[in-house]
Amino acid sequence: MRRETVLNAVLALGLLAVPLAAQAMGEPFIVTLATKVAILALAGVGLNIALGLGGMVSLGHAAFFGIGGYAMAVLAAPVQAYEPLMTWPFELAGTKSMPVIWVAAMVAGALGALAIGALSLRTSGVYFIMITLAFGQMLYYFAISWPAYGGEDGISIYVRNGFPGLNTLDPIQFFALSYGVLMAALMVSWVLARSGFGLALAGARQNPVRSAALGIRPYSVKLTAFVISGAITALAGALFADLNRFVSPSMLSWQTSGEIMVFVILGGVARLFGPVAGAALFILLEHWLGGFSEYWKLFLGLALLGIVLFARGGLIGTLAGREVAHD
Amino acid sequence: MTEPVLEVRDLHRAFGALKATDGVSLTLRRSEIHALIGPNGAGKSTLIGLIAGNLKPDAGQVVLNGRDVTQADVAARARAGLARSFQVSAVAAELTVLQNVVLAVQGARGQSFRFFRPALANTGLRAAAEAHIARAGLSGRRAIPAGDLAHGERRRLELAMALALAPRAFVLDEPMAGMGPDGAREMTALLDDLRHEAPILLVEHDMDAVFALADRVSVLVSGRIIASGTVAEIRADPEVQRAYLGEERLE
Repeated sequence: MRRETVLNAVLALGLLAVPLAAQAMGEPFIVTLATKVAILALAGVGLNIALGLGGMVSLGHAAFFGIGGYAMAVLAAPVQAYEPLMTWPFELAGTKSMPVIWVAAMVAGALGALAIGALSLRTSGVYFIMITLAFGQMLYYFAISWPAYGGEDGISIYVRNGFPGLNTLDPIQFFALSYGVLMAALMVSWVLARSGFGLALAGARQNPVRSAALGIRPYSVKLTAFVISGAITALAGALFADLNRFVSPSMLSWQTSGEIMVFVILGGVARLFGPVAGAALFILLEHWLGGFSEYWKLFLGLALLGIVLFARGGLIGTLAGREVAHD
Repeated sequence: MTEPVLEVRDLHRAFGALKATDGVSLTLRRSEIHALIGPNGAGKSTLIGLIAGNLKPDAGQVVLNGRDVTQADVAARARAGLARSFQVSAVAAELTVLQNVVLAVQGARGQSFRFFRPALANTGLRAAAEAHIARAGLSGRRAIPAGDLAHGERRRLELAMALALAPRAFVLDEPMAGMGPDGAREMTALLDDLRHEAPILLVEHDMDAVFALADRVSVLVSGRIIASGTVAEIRADPEVQRAYLGEERLE
Protein backbone atom coordinates (compact mmCIF):
# COMPACT_ATOMS: atom_id res chain seq x y z
CA MET A 1 0.00 0.00 0.00
CA ARG A 2 1.16 3.52 -0.70
CA ARG A 3 2.43 5.47 2.25
CA GLU A 4 -0.04 8.23 1.60
CA THR A 5 -2.93 5.77 1.77
CA VAL A 6 -1.74 4.58 5.17
CA LEU A 7 -1.34 8.15 6.34
CA ASN A 8 -4.83 9.01 5.13
CA ALA A 9 -6.27 6.04 7.03
CA VAL A 10 -4.42 7.12 10.17
CA LEU A 11 -5.83 10.63 9.86
CA ALA A 12 -9.36 9.41 9.20
CA LEU A 13 -9.28 6.98 12.11
CA GLY A 14 -7.50 9.44 14.40
CA LEU A 15 -10.11 12.10 13.82
CA LEU A 16 -12.73 9.50 14.72
CA ALA A 17 -10.91 7.98 17.70
CA VAL A 18 -10.02 11.19 19.53
CA PRO A 19 -13.59 12.44 20.09
CA LEU A 20 -14.81 8.92 20.88
CA ALA A 21 -12.15 8.61 23.57
CA ALA A 22 -12.93 12.12 24.81
CA GLN A 23 -16.60 11.21 25.01
CA ALA A 24 -15.76 8.12 27.06
CA MET A 25 -13.68 10.24 29.41
CA GLY A 26 -16.38 12.88 29.70
CA GLU A 27 -14.60 15.68 27.83
CA PRO A 28 -17.25 17.23 25.58
CA PHE A 29 -15.01 20.22 24.83
CA ILE A 30 -12.57 18.00 22.95
CA VAL A 31 -15.47 16.50 21.02
CA THR A 32 -16.44 20.02 19.97
CA LEU A 33 -12.86 20.77 18.95
CA ALA A 34 -12.82 17.63 16.79
CA THR A 35 -16.11 18.74 15.23
CA LYS A 36 -14.51 22.06 14.43
CA VAL A 37 -11.60 20.27 12.79
CA ALA A 38 -13.97 18.17 10.68
CA ILE A 39 -15.97 21.20 9.53
CA LEU A 40 -12.95 23.37 8.78
CA ALA A 41 -11.36 20.43 6.96
CA LEU A 42 -14.53 20.20 4.90
CA ALA A 43 -14.13 23.85 3.90
CA GLY A 44 -10.55 23.03 2.97
CA VAL A 45 -11.62 20.00 0.91
CA GLY A 46 -13.79 22.41 -1.06
CA LEU A 47 -10.96 24.88 -1.60
CA ASN A 48 -8.54 22.06 -2.46
CA ILE A 49 -10.63 21.18 -5.50
CA ALA A 50 -10.13 24.70 -6.85
CA LEU A 51 -6.62 25.29 -5.53
CA GLY A 52 -5.06 21.85 -5.63
CA LEU A 53 -6.74 20.16 -8.57
CA GLY A 54 -7.52 23.26 -10.62
CA GLY A 55 -4.64 25.55 -9.68
CA MET A 56 -7.07 28.39 -8.95
CA VAL A 57 -5.62 30.38 -6.05
CA SER A 58 -8.85 31.74 -4.62
CA LEU A 59 -8.51 34.18 -1.77
CA GLY A 60 -12.27 34.55 -1.70
CA HIS A 61 -13.51 31.21 -0.45
CA ALA A 62 -14.82 32.87 2.70
CA ALA A 63 -17.55 34.13 0.37
CA PHE A 64 -18.85 30.58 -0.07
CA PHE A 65 -18.22 29.67 3.57
CA GLY A 66 -20.27 32.72 4.58
CA ILE A 67 -22.95 32.09 1.96
CA GLY A 68 -23.42 28.67 3.54
CA GLY A 69 -23.59 30.20 7.02
CA TYR A 70 -26.08 32.85 6.00
CA ALA A 71 -28.15 30.31 4.06
CA MET A 72 -28.55 28.51 7.37
CA ALA A 73 -29.49 31.75 9.16
CA VAL A 74 -31.94 32.83 6.48
CA LEU A 75 -33.77 29.50 6.70
CA ALA A 76 -33.61 28.99 10.47
CA ALA A 77 -34.07 32.53 11.80
CA PRO A 78 -37.75 32.88 10.76
CA VAL A 79 -38.56 29.66 12.58
CA GLN A 80 -37.27 30.94 15.91
CA ALA A 81 -39.08 34.25 15.32
CA TYR A 82 -42.32 32.40 14.47
CA GLU A 83 -42.48 34.14 11.11
CA PRO A 84 -42.67 32.84 7.57
CA LEU A 85 -39.51 33.07 5.47
CA MET A 86 -41.43 35.03 2.87
CA THR A 87 -44.99 35.83 2.02
CA TRP A 88 -44.70 37.07 -1.51
CA PRO A 89 -45.12 35.83 -4.24
CA PHE A 90 -46.04 32.73 -2.26
CA GLU A 91 -45.81 31.90 1.38
CA LEU A 92 -42.78 29.87 2.38
CA ALA A 93 -41.88 28.79 5.89
CA GLY A 94 -38.33 28.58 7.19
CA THR A 95 -36.84 25.27 8.24
CA LYS A 96 -34.78 23.77 11.02
CA SER A 97 -34.02 20.65 9.03
CA MET A 98 -30.30 20.20 8.33
CA PRO A 99 -30.68 18.22 5.08
CA VAL A 100 -32.83 20.98 3.60
CA ILE A 101 -30.43 23.64 4.85
CA TRP A 102 -27.47 21.75 3.42
CA VAL A 103 -29.03 21.53 -0.02
CA ALA A 104 -29.93 25.22 0.10
CA ALA A 105 -26.41 26.14 1.25
CA MET A 106 -24.81 24.10 -1.53
CA VAL A 107 -27.09 25.51 -4.21
CA ALA A 108 -26.42 29.06 -2.95
CA GLY A 109 -22.68 28.37 -2.80
CA ALA A 110 -22.70 26.89 -6.29
CA LEU A 111 -24.56 29.88 -7.72
CA GLY A 112 -22.22 32.28 -5.94
CA ALA A 113 -19.23 30.38 -7.29
CA LEU A 114 -20.72 30.37 -10.78
CA ALA A 115 -21.10 34.16 -10.75
CA ILE A 116 -17.74 34.88 -9.10
CA GLY A 117 -15.89 32.22 -11.07
CA ALA A 118 -17.36 33.25 -14.44
CA LEU A 119 -15.88 36.71 -13.99
CA SER A 120 -12.70 35.84 -12.07
CA LEU A 121 -11.59 33.07 -14.42
CA ARG A 122 -11.20 35.59 -17.21
CA THR A 123 -8.06 36.59 -15.36
CA SER A 124 -5.25 34.50 -14.00
CA GLY A 125 -2.31 34.62 -11.61
CA VAL A 126 -2.19 37.53 -9.22
CA TYR A 127 -5.26 39.15 -10.80
CA PHE A 128 -7.31 36.05 -10.06
CA ILE A 129 -6.24 36.19 -6.41
CA MET A 130 -7.14 39.87 -6.19
CA ILE A 131 -10.50 39.62 -7.92
CA THR A 132 -11.65 36.69 -5.77
CA LEU A 133 -10.51 38.66 -2.72
CA ALA A 134 -12.52 41.65 -3.95
CA PHE A 135 -15.68 39.58 -4.41
CA GLY A 136 -15.26 38.13 -0.92
CA GLN A 137 -14.92 41.60 0.57
CA MET A 138 -17.99 42.80 -1.33
CA LEU A 139 -20.07 40.10 0.32
CA TYR A 140 -18.45 40.85 3.68
CA TYR A 141 -19.48 44.50 3.56
CA PHE A 142 -22.89 43.54 2.26
CA ALA A 143 -23.41 41.30 5.30
CA ILE A 144 -22.26 44.08 7.65
CA SER A 145 -24.89 46.40 6.24
CA TRP A 146 -27.69 43.83 6.19
CA PRO A 147 -29.79 44.71 9.25
CA ALA A 148 -32.25 41.83 8.87
CA TYR A 149 -29.53 39.41 9.93
CA GLY A 150 -27.85 41.44 12.62
CA GLY A 151 -25.49 43.49 10.48
CA GLU A 152 -22.06 43.62 12.03
CA ASP A 153 -23.21 41.77 15.18
CA GLY A 154 -24.40 38.71 13.32
CA ILE A 155 -27.33 36.61 14.40
CA SER A 156 -27.74 33.80 16.91
CA ILE A 157 -29.73 30.67 16.14
CA TYR A 158 -30.48 29.49 19.65
CA VAL A 159 -31.35 25.88 18.99
CA ARG A 160 -29.17 23.79 16.70
CA ASN A 161 -30.96 22.60 13.59
CA GLY A 162 -32.18 19.04 13.55
CA PHE A 163 -31.29 15.95 11.61
CA PRO A 164 -33.79 13.09 11.33
CA GLY A 165 -33.06 10.44 13.93
CA LEU A 166 -30.28 12.34 15.72
CA ASN A 167 -30.05 14.67 18.68
CA THR A 168 -27.79 17.29 17.16
CA LEU A 169 -27.36 19.12 20.47
CA ASP A 170 -25.44 16.12 21.76
CA PRO A 171 -21.81 16.99 20.84
CA ILE A 172 -20.84 13.45 19.85
CA GLN A 173 -23.86 13.06 17.60
CA PHE A 174 -23.21 16.38 15.90
CA PHE A 175 -19.59 15.33 15.52
CA ALA A 176 -20.64 12.07 13.87
CA LEU A 177 -22.77 14.02 11.43
CA SER A 178 -19.97 16.45 10.55
CA TYR A 179 -17.50 13.60 10.25
CA GLY A 180 -19.83 11.72 7.92
CA VAL A 181 -20.23 14.76 5.70
CA LEU A 182 -16.45 15.25 5.64
CA MET A 183 -15.89 11.64 4.61
CA ALA A 184 -18.52 11.95 1.88
CA ALA A 185 -16.83 15.11 0.57
CA LEU A 186 -13.45 13.38 0.61
CA MET A 187 -14.97 10.56 -1.39
CA VAL A 188 -16.34 13.06 -3.93
CA SER A 189 -12.94 14.72 -4.14
CA TRP A 190 -11.20 11.37 -4.63
CA VAL A 191 -13.56 10.19 -7.35
CA LEU A 192 -13.36 13.58 -9.06
CA ALA A 193 -9.57 13.62 -9.12
CA ARG A 194 -9.37 10.25 -10.87
CA SER A 195 -12.26 10.81 -13.26
CA GLY A 196 -12.04 11.95 -16.84
CA PHE A 197 -13.03 15.38 -15.61
CA GLY A 198 -10.20 15.32 -13.07
CA LEU A 199 -7.74 14.54 -15.85
CA ALA A 200 -9.13 17.38 -17.97
CA LEU A 201 -8.80 19.68 -14.95
CA ALA A 202 -5.20 18.61 -14.40
CA GLY A 203 -4.53 19.32 -18.06
CA ALA A 204 -6.21 22.72 -17.85
CA ARG A 205 -4.12 23.57 -14.78
CA GLN A 206 -0.78 22.42 -16.13
CA ASN A 207 -1.11 23.50 -19.72
CA PRO A 208 -4.25 25.41 -20.71
CA VAL A 209 -3.00 26.22 -24.21
CA ARG A 210 -2.32 22.58 -24.97
CA SER A 211 -5.63 21.51 -23.46
CA ALA A 212 -7.50 23.81 -25.80
CA ALA A 213 -5.61 22.30 -28.73
CA LEU A 214 -6.91 18.91 -27.57
CA GLY A 215 -10.49 20.07 -27.78
CA ILE A 216 -10.91 20.87 -24.07
CA ARG A 217 -12.01 24.36 -23.05
CA PRO A 218 -9.94 25.19 -19.96
CA TYR A 219 -12.36 27.93 -18.94
CA SER A 220 -15.39 25.61 -18.80
CA VAL A 221 -13.47 22.88 -17.01
CA LYS A 222 -12.08 25.27 -14.41
CA LEU A 223 -15.41 27.01 -13.87
CA THR A 224 -17.13 23.67 -13.26
CA ALA A 225 -14.48 22.76 -10.68
CA PHE A 226 -14.82 26.18 -9.06
CA VAL A 227 -18.58 25.69 -8.71
CA ILE A 228 -18.16 22.25 -7.11
CA SER A 229 -15.52 23.75 -4.82
CA GLY A 230 -17.82 26.62 -3.81
CA ALA A 231 -20.71 24.25 -3.07
CA ILE A 232 -18.60 22.10 -0.73
CA THR A 233 -17.19 25.11 1.10
CA ALA A 234 -20.72 26.50 1.49
CA LEU A 235 -21.82 23.21 3.03
CA ALA A 236 -18.98 23.59 5.52
CA GLY A 237 -20.22 27.12 6.24
CA ALA A 238 -23.71 25.85 7.05
CA LEU A 239 -22.27 23.26 9.44
CA PHE A 240 -19.93 25.79 11.03
CA ALA A 241 -22.85 28.13 11.67
CA ASP A 242 -24.70 25.25 13.26
CA LEU A 243 -21.69 24.35 15.40
CA ASN A 244 -21.53 27.89 16.81
CA ARG A 245 -25.28 28.47 16.56
CA PHE A 246 -24.21 31.88 15.39
CA VAL A 247 -23.53 33.59 12.06
CA SER A 248 -21.66 36.83 11.61
CA PRO A 249 -19.88 38.69 8.82
CA SER A 250 -16.54 37.42 10.16
CA MET A 251 -17.31 34.15 8.35
CA LEU A 252 -17.05 36.18 5.14
CA SER A 253 -13.92 38.11 6.02
CA TRP A 254 -10.71 37.71 4.08
CA GLN A 255 -9.02 36.36 7.19
CA THR A 256 -11.37 33.39 6.91
CA SER A 257 -10.35 32.91 3.27
CA GLY A 258 -6.75 33.02 4.39
CA GLU A 259 -7.33 30.47 7.14
CA ILE A 260 -9.01 28.03 4.78
CA MET A 261 -6.05 28.42 2.46
CA VAL A 262 -3.68 27.87 5.38
CA PHE A 263 -5.37 24.52 6.13
CA VAL A 264 -4.77 23.41 2.56
CA ILE A 265 -1.17 24.61 2.42
CA LEU A 266 -0.26 23.28 5.88
CA GLY A 267 -1.66 19.88 5.05
CA GLY A 268 -0.53 19.66 1.45
CA VAL A 269 -1.94 21.24 -1.70
CA ALA A 270 -3.72 18.75 -3.99
CA ARG A 271 -3.34 15.97 -1.42
CA LEU A 272 -6.66 14.28 -0.67
CA PHE A 273 -6.28 14.47 3.11
CA GLY A 274 -4.22 17.68 3.07
CA PRO A 275 -7.07 19.84 4.41
CA VAL A 276 -7.77 17.32 7.19
CA ALA A 277 -4.15 17.32 8.33
CA GLY A 278 -3.98 21.10 7.97
CA ALA A 279 -7.17 21.85 9.88
CA ALA A 280 -6.19 19.42 12.65
CA LEU A 281 -2.74 20.98 12.98
CA PHE A 282 -4.24 24.47 12.94
CA ILE A 283 -6.70 23.71 15.74
CA LEU A 284 -4.03 21.89 17.76
CA LEU A 285 -1.65 24.83 17.45
CA GLU A 286 -4.43 27.24 18.29
CA HIS A 287 -5.13 25.41 21.52
CA TRP A 288 -1.66 24.40 22.63
CA LEU A 289 0.13 27.56 21.66
CA GLY A 290 -2.93 29.63 22.53
CA GLY A 291 -2.51 28.32 26.06
CA PHE A 292 1.06 29.59 26.28
CA SER A 293 0.68 32.89 24.58
CA GLU A 294 -1.96 35.00 22.96
CA TYR A 295 0.56 35.62 20.20
CA TRP A 296 0.18 32.02 19.04
CA LYS A 297 -0.40 33.13 15.48
CA LEU A 298 3.21 34.27 15.40
CA PHE A 299 4.22 30.65 15.82
CA LEU A 300 1.63 29.55 13.31
CA GLY A 301 3.18 32.03 10.89
CA LEU A 302 6.62 30.59 11.51
CA ALA A 303 5.33 27.05 11.00
CA LEU A 304 3.67 28.10 7.76
CA LEU A 305 6.84 29.82 6.59
CA GLY A 306 8.83 26.68 7.33
CA ILE A 307 6.40 24.51 5.41
CA VAL A 308 6.28 26.75 2.38
CA LEU A 309 10.08 27.07 2.30
CA PHE A 310 11.18 23.57 3.21
CA ALA A 311 8.25 21.17 2.83
CA ARG A 312 6.33 22.14 -0.26
CA GLY A 313 4.03 19.15 -0.15
CA GLY A 314 2.83 20.27 3.28
CA LEU A 315 2.43 17.81 6.12
CA ILE A 316 1.23 14.99 3.89
CA GLY A 317 3.93 15.61 1.32
CA THR A 318 6.64 15.57 4.00
CA LEU A 319 5.41 12.36 5.54
CA ALA A 320 4.34 10.48 2.41
CA GLY A 321 6.90 11.72 -0.10
CA ARG A 322 6.42 12.72 -3.69
CA GLU A 323 3.10 11.92 -5.21
CA VAL A 324 3.42 8.76 -7.25
CA ALA A 325 1.64 8.61 -10.56
CA HIS A 326 -1.10 6.04 -10.23
CA ASP A 327 -1.26 3.87 -13.31
CA MET B 1 -8.85 17.55 -58.16
CA THR B 2 -10.35 16.76 -54.78
CA GLU B 3 -11.31 19.53 -52.45
CA PRO B 4 -8.51 20.59 -50.10
CA VAL B 5 -8.70 19.38 -46.51
CA LEU B 6 -7.54 22.69 -45.15
CA GLU B 7 -7.81 25.94 -46.98
CA VAL B 8 -6.67 29.38 -45.91
CA ARG B 9 -8.18 32.21 -47.92
CA ASP B 10 -6.64 35.67 -48.06
CA LEU B 11 -5.87 35.84 -44.36
CA HIS B 12 -4.89 39.17 -42.83
CA ARG B 13 -3.73 39.98 -39.35
CA ALA B 14 -1.93 43.08 -38.17
CA PHE B 15 -0.41 43.94 -34.81
CA GLY B 16 -0.49 47.73 -34.82
CA ALA B 17 1.43 48.80 -37.90
CA LEU B 18 3.03 45.38 -38.37
CA LYS B 19 1.28 43.26 -40.96
CA ALA B 20 2.20 39.86 -39.57
CA THR B 21 -0.05 38.05 -42.00
CA ASP B 22 -0.68 39.95 -45.19
CA GLY B 23 -3.04 38.19 -47.54
CA VAL B 24 -1.96 34.59 -47.16
CA SER B 25 -3.76 31.85 -49.07
CA LEU B 26 -2.72 28.24 -49.07
CA THR B 27 -4.23 24.78 -49.33
CA LEU B 28 -3.50 21.41 -47.85
CA ARG B 29 -4.58 18.47 -49.99
CA ARG B 30 -5.20 14.89 -49.06
CA SER B 31 -2.07 12.84 -48.22
CA GLU B 32 0.37 15.62 -48.85
CA ILE B 33 3.01 17.29 -46.76
CA HIS B 34 2.96 20.99 -47.41
CA ALA B 35 5.97 22.66 -45.86
CA LEU B 36 5.93 26.27 -44.79
CA ILE B 37 9.35 27.85 -44.57
CA GLY B 38 10.55 31.36 -44.03
CA PRO B 39 13.15 33.34 -42.10
CA ASN B 40 12.63 34.25 -38.45
CA GLY B 41 9.98 36.92 -38.06
CA ALA B 42 8.33 36.02 -41.35
CA GLY B 43 5.01 35.47 -39.61
CA LYS B 44 4.95 31.68 -39.39
CA SER B 45 3.83 31.61 -35.77
CA THR B 46 1.09 34.15 -36.42
CA LEU B 47 -0.14 32.11 -39.36
CA ILE B 48 -0.24 28.95 -37.25
CA GLY B 49 -2.07 30.84 -34.51
CA LEU B 50 -4.63 31.98 -37.05
CA ILE B 51 -5.10 28.50 -38.45
CA ALA B 52 -5.35 26.83 -35.03
CA GLY B 53 -7.66 29.51 -33.66
CA ASN B 54 -5.45 31.10 -31.00
CA LEU B 55 -5.64 34.33 -33.00
CA LYS B 56 -8.58 35.81 -34.85
CA PRO B 57 -7.88 37.21 -38.32
CA ASP B 58 -8.71 40.79 -39.31
CA ALA B 59 -9.96 39.42 -42.61
CA GLY B 60 -10.00 36.15 -44.50
CA GLN B 61 -11.18 32.62 -43.82
CA VAL B 62 -9.98 29.30 -42.55
CA VAL B 63 -11.87 26.36 -44.05
CA LEU B 64 -11.50 22.85 -42.67
CA ASN B 65 -13.13 20.03 -44.62
CA GLY B 66 -15.33 22.47 -46.48
CA ARG B 67 -16.51 24.05 -43.24
CA ASP B 68 -15.72 27.66 -42.41
CA VAL B 69 -14.13 27.54 -38.95
CA THR B 70 -12.91 31.15 -38.87
CA GLN B 71 -15.17 31.97 -35.93
CA ALA B 72 -14.61 28.71 -34.05
CA ASP B 73 -12.31 28.68 -31.01
CA VAL B 74 -9.26 26.48 -30.53
CA ALA B 75 -11.13 23.65 -28.82
CA ALA B 76 -13.85 23.56 -31.47
CA ARG B 77 -11.26 23.40 -34.27
CA ALA B 78 -9.44 20.62 -32.44
CA ARG B 79 -12.64 18.63 -32.24
CA ALA B 80 -13.33 19.35 -35.90
CA GLY B 81 -10.09 17.51 -36.64
CA LEU B 82 -7.25 20.01 -36.56
CA ALA B 83 -4.29 18.64 -34.63
CA ARG B 84 -1.41 20.94 -33.91
CA SER B 85 1.88 20.43 -32.21
CA PHE B 86 3.81 23.18 -30.57
CA GLN B 87 7.22 24.64 -31.28
CA VAL B 88 8.12 24.44 -27.62
CA SER B 89 6.98 21.10 -26.28
CA ALA B 90 3.63 21.57 -24.61
CA VAL B 91 2.50 18.66 -22.49
CA ALA B 92 1.07 18.38 -18.99
CA ALA B 93 4.37 17.86 -17.20
CA GLU B 94 3.05 16.26 -14.01
CA LEU B 95 0.88 13.75 -15.84
CA THR B 96 2.32 10.51 -17.15
CA VAL B 97 2.73 9.77 -20.83
CA LEU B 98 -0.38 7.61 -20.68
CA GLN B 99 -2.42 10.27 -18.87
CA ASN B 100 -1.40 12.89 -21.42
CA VAL B 101 -2.55 10.75 -24.32
CA VAL B 102 -5.76 9.67 -22.56
CA LEU B 103 -6.40 13.39 -22.02
CA ALA B 104 -6.06 13.92 -25.76
CA VAL B 105 -8.33 11.00 -26.64
CA GLN B 106 -11.10 12.11 -24.29
CA GLY B 107 -10.72 15.71 -25.45
CA ALA B 108 -11.18 14.69 -29.07
CA ARG B 109 -14.19 12.58 -28.18
CA GLY B 110 -15.75 15.37 -26.12
CA GLN B 111 -15.73 13.18 -23.01
CA SER B 112 -14.06 15.57 -20.60
CA PHE B 113 -17.10 16.08 -18.40
CA ARG B 114 -17.35 12.62 -16.90
CA PHE B 115 -17.24 12.97 -13.16
CA PHE B 116 -17.36 9.41 -11.89
CA ARG B 117 -15.56 6.88 -13.99
CA PRO B 118 -11.80 6.86 -13.44
CA ALA B 119 -10.22 7.96 -16.71
CA LEU B 120 -7.55 5.28 -16.70
CA ALA B 121 -10.05 2.52 -15.98
CA ASN B 122 -11.94 3.41 -19.14
CA THR B 123 -10.74 0.64 -21.43
CA GLY B 124 -12.02 2.36 -24.57
CA LEU B 125 -9.96 5.49 -23.90
CA ARG B 126 -7.02 3.55 -22.66
CA ALA B 127 -6.75 1.14 -25.57
CA ALA B 128 -6.86 4.00 -28.06
CA ALA B 129 -4.22 5.88 -26.07
CA GLU B 130 -1.90 2.90 -25.84
CA ALA B 131 -2.11 2.37 -29.61
CA HIS B 132 -1.02 5.97 -30.22
CA ILE B 133 1.76 5.65 -27.67
CA ALA B 134 3.02 2.51 -29.41
CA ARG B 135 2.88 4.28 -32.76
CA ALA B 136 5.05 7.08 -31.40
CA GLY B 137 7.47 4.50 -30.00
CA LEU B 138 6.92 5.33 -26.34
CA SER B 139 5.38 2.08 -25.08
CA GLY B 140 8.13 1.48 -22.54
CA ARG B 141 7.72 4.97 -21.12
CA ARG B 142 4.01 5.27 -20.57
CA ALA B 143 4.15 5.45 -16.75
CA ILE B 144 6.81 8.19 -16.75
CA PRO B 145 5.69 11.76 -15.92
CA ALA B 146 5.94 13.80 -19.11
CA GLY B 147 8.18 16.30 -17.37
CA ASP B 148 10.83 13.61 -16.83
CA LEU B 149 11.06 12.66 -20.51
CA ALA B 150 14.08 13.46 -22.65
CA HIS B 151 13.57 16.16 -25.24
CA GLY B 152 13.14 13.85 -28.20
CA GLU B 153 10.71 11.66 -26.28
CA ARG B 154 8.64 14.68 -25.43
CA ARG B 155 8.40 15.56 -29.12
CA ARG B 156 7.16 12.02 -29.72
CA LEU B 157 4.62 12.40 -26.94
CA GLU B 158 3.40 15.56 -28.65
CA LEU B 159 2.95 13.56 -31.79
CA ALA B 160 1.10 10.78 -29.96
CA MET B 161 -1.26 13.43 -28.56
CA ALA B 162 -1.80 14.88 -32.02
CA LEU B 163 -2.50 11.38 -33.36
CA ALA B 164 -4.99 10.83 -30.56
CA LEU B 165 -7.18 13.56 -31.99
CA ALA B 166 -7.82 11.29 -35.02
CA PRO B 167 -7.22 14.42 -37.04
CA ARG B 168 -8.26 15.47 -40.54
CA ALA B 169 -5.20 17.69 -40.77
CA PHE B 170 -1.95 18.12 -38.85
CA VAL B 171 -0.31 21.47 -38.25
CA LEU B 172 3.13 20.68 -36.92
CA ASP B 173 5.25 23.54 -35.64
CA GLU B 174 8.93 22.56 -35.92
CA PRO B 175 8.61 18.92 -34.83
CA MET B 176 12.37 18.42 -35.30
CA ALA B 177 13.41 21.39 -33.19
CA GLY B 178 16.23 20.53 -30.83
CA MET B 179 16.52 16.93 -32.01
CA GLY B 180 19.80 15.27 -32.78
CA PRO B 181 20.45 13.87 -36.29
CA ASP B 182 19.22 10.40 -35.32
CA GLY B 183 16.06 11.73 -33.74
CA ALA B 184 15.39 13.92 -36.76
CA ARG B 185 15.82 10.93 -39.08
CA GLU B 186 13.37 8.83 -37.09
CA MET B 187 10.91 11.70 -36.93
CA THR B 188 11.21 12.17 -40.70
CA ALA B 189 10.25 8.53 -41.24
CA LEU B 190 7.35 8.87 -38.83
CA LEU B 191 6.00 11.96 -40.58
CA ASP B 192 6.39 10.34 -43.97
CA ASP B 193 4.12 7.57 -42.74
CA LEU B 194 1.73 9.95 -41.01
CA ARG B 195 0.73 11.82 -44.18
CA HIS B 196 -1.46 8.91 -45.23
CA GLU B 197 -3.49 9.37 -42.08
CA ALA B 198 -3.98 13.07 -42.58
CA PRO B 199 -2.13 15.72 -44.56
CA ILE B 200 0.50 17.75 -42.76
CA LEU B 201 1.18 21.45 -42.81
CA LEU B 202 4.78 21.37 -41.70
CA VAL B 203 6.59 24.40 -40.36
CA GLU B 204 10.21 23.41 -40.09
CA HIS B 205 13.68 24.90 -40.03
CA ASP B 206 15.43 21.64 -40.82
CA MET B 207 15.84 21.99 -44.59
CA ASP B 208 17.01 18.42 -45.05
CA ALA B 209 13.73 17.22 -43.57
CA VAL B 210 11.68 19.70 -45.57
CA PHE B 211 13.30 18.75 -48.86
CA ALA B 212 13.02 15.05 -48.05
CA LEU B 213 9.37 15.14 -47.04
CA ALA B 214 7.51 17.97 -48.68
CA ASP B 215 5.31 17.53 -51.71
CA ARG B 216 4.94 21.26 -51.91
CA VAL B 217 6.75 24.13 -50.24
CA SER B 218 5.49 27.63 -49.57
CA VAL B 219 7.87 30.38 -48.63
CA LEU B 220 6.65 33.03 -46.23
CA VAL B 221 8.49 36.35 -46.04
CA SER B 222 7.19 39.42 -44.21
CA GLY B 223 3.71 37.97 -43.88
CA ARG B 224 3.36 37.11 -47.60
CA ILE B 225 3.84 33.92 -49.51
CA ILE B 226 6.44 34.83 -52.10
CA ALA B 227 6.65 31.44 -53.76
CA SER B 228 4.88 28.11 -53.71
CA GLY B 229 5.72 24.94 -55.59
CA THR B 230 7.54 21.64 -55.58
CA VAL B 231 10.85 21.24 -53.84
CA ALA B 232 12.70 21.52 -57.14
CA GLU B 233 10.85 24.68 -58.14
CA ILE B 234 11.50 26.32 -54.79
CA ARG B 235 15.18 25.43 -54.84
CA ALA B 236 15.49 26.99 -58.26
CA ASP B 237 13.48 30.13 -57.51
CA PRO B 238 15.85 33.11 -57.49
CA GLU B 239 13.61 35.20 -55.30
CA VAL B 240 13.52 32.49 -52.67
CA GLN B 241 17.26 32.10 -52.77
CA ARG B 242 17.69 35.78 -52.23
CA ALA B 243 15.07 36.11 -49.50
CA TYR B 244 15.71 33.01 -47.55
CA LEU B 245 17.94 30.20 -48.60
CA GLY B 246 20.73 32.51 -49.61
CA GLU B 247 21.13 34.18 -46.29
CA GLU B 248 20.78 31.14 -44.11
CA ARG B 249 22.34 28.31 -46.00
CA LEU B 250 23.49 27.50 -49.50
CA GLU B 251 23.98 23.92 -50.41
